[in-house]
Amino acid sequence: MSEVTLSEDQRDCYQELTNVAMGQAADRLARLLDAYVVLPIPRVNLIENSELHMAIQDAEKDAAISAVCQGFIGSGIAGEALLLFNDTSFQDLSSLMSYTGPLDRHAELELLMDVSSVLIGACIQGIGEQLEIHFNQGHPVVLGQHCQVADILKSGNHQWSKTLAIEIHYTIEHVNIDCDLLLLFTEDSVHKLNNVIDFLLD
Amino acid sequence: MSDSNFDIGDIHWLMDILQNIDVGLVVLDRNYEIHLWNGFMESHSGISPQNAKGQNLFELFDEIPREWFTQKSEAVFQLKTRTFTIWEQRPYLFKFKNYRPITGRAATMYQNTSIIPLESINKTVDHICIIIYDVTDVAVNREDALKAAQSLWQLSRADHLTELPNRVVWEQEVQREYSRCCRSQNPSTLVVFDIDNLKQINAAYGHKTGDEVLKIVSDSLRQTMRQTDMPCRFGGDMFAILLVDTSEVNASRFAERIRKAIEVLDIRTQEQQLRVTASIGVAEFSNTFANETDWIHATNKALLHGKQLGGDQVTLYHSKALQ
Repeated sequence: MSEVTLSEDQRDCYQELTNVAMGQAADRLARLLDAYVVLPIPRVNLIENSELHMAIQDAEKDAAISAVCQGFIGSGIAGEALLLFNDTSFQDLSSLMSYTGPLDRHAELELLMDVSSVLIGACIQGIGEQLEIHFNQGHPVVLGQHCQVADILKSGNHQWSKTLAIEIHYTIEHVNIDCDLLLLFTEDSVHKLNNVIDFLLD
Repeated sequence: MSDSNFDIGDIHWLMDILQNIDVGLVVLDRNYEIHLWNGFMESHSGISPQNAKGQNLFELFDEIPREWFTQKSEAVFQLKTRTFTIWEQRPYLFKFKNYRPITGRAATMYQNTSIIPLESINKTVDHICIIIYDVTDVAVNREDALKAAQSLWQLSRADHLTELPNRVVWEQEVQREYSRCCRSQNPSTLVVFDIDNLKQINAAYGHKTGDEVLKIVSDSLRQTMRQTDMPCRFGGDMFAILLVDTSEVNASRFAERIRKAIEVLDIRTQEQQLRVTASIGVAEFSNTFANETDWIHATNKALLHGKQLGGDQVTLYHSKALQ
């Protein structure tokens, strides 16, 4: 298969698609939390296999994090969404979600699942709607709680060399909530995606 | 499916698929009343679709926490977004008993669930669908793997015969304690002992009997020591204990208790009654030790000294006396 490439126009288009999708996601998150979600600028990049952890570590450095991963697939385009949650965010998140009871590992898992359902779901569906693709979502998988980015990614024997990564950094105004959503497509999905994008650009 | 002109025959076999598919399908309305209840749900709950339809979910299944579930599903109704629960978070939504006597190794079925919004013709979401997946095998395998990893970890740390920590683990502890003592100058003490006549017992009654003696001695050590003391089987017939925050004086009292406890042990084999004694070396931390190996070495020296004097005694290490 030919190498994955990304022209400037295509990059802009991905960025615009993501802007719309994550705006929807942010709106839903804001409604869920009843708080103002700061709209970030998504980063669209082609990354090499070896750059994956750099892409993430950029945002999360060496903070303790919890992470959830969820696969999606539709019309031959597949990928995974990875949500990285800074562990210091749970305190504020639990009060925003009006969680009662102790904030233990289990409560954190509940919060993580609730937020990831909303953020990942809305973002994937948002992108899908614009491309007229219905994405099916797999079950979320907890990659780890209270660990480092490096621990989460080290087990991956990734079956790709270069792929498309969309990174969105969410923050919420006035509270300490900080999470990163990374959409990563499979290598052969990128070719198909590029075709769809080119069609939109024409 | 988006093709709207399928005929009644198509619907018939689509219903057949819903009925037979090996995942649970439940459709609920705004009031959490059941509208669809497929074959999977009927088989596992024993409740027929006729009896389930129109019933309130929470009244029919009191194991489902109302507040928790409505919080999840309100997000689906209002935000039109899918939501998911996984078994790590809550092992099951519906409490279904294990239905496989041979291969089912969990008492209840582990479940992952998806809750998806169902749009009506006017684009509002008045119904949601719960999809229930049986993930018992995944969950049980994961728990098995965790248990295996844990027991491997324990095995790698323990001596097989006595189940005390092994020398590698103990020396790491001593290394940590050495660094701590260097900083804090608190007294901590090492105690090492061996069984004076184990070689003779091995020679006379065989190694099996010798092993039995080692086990009984280690049990006696476990009963004598405090919770904070760190014991180990140092190797062969030798045991060592790290006494944290304990001076030489207190440690030698402890050593004396051990010596007496071993002396009175009543060890019986099939034909014989055996008596054993122990020689014990004691060394308190001192700044003169260059590292933890020096410290352990000093304790061994005290032990050897006591042995040369005939064994069955506690010997304290004094740098000058035992140089």
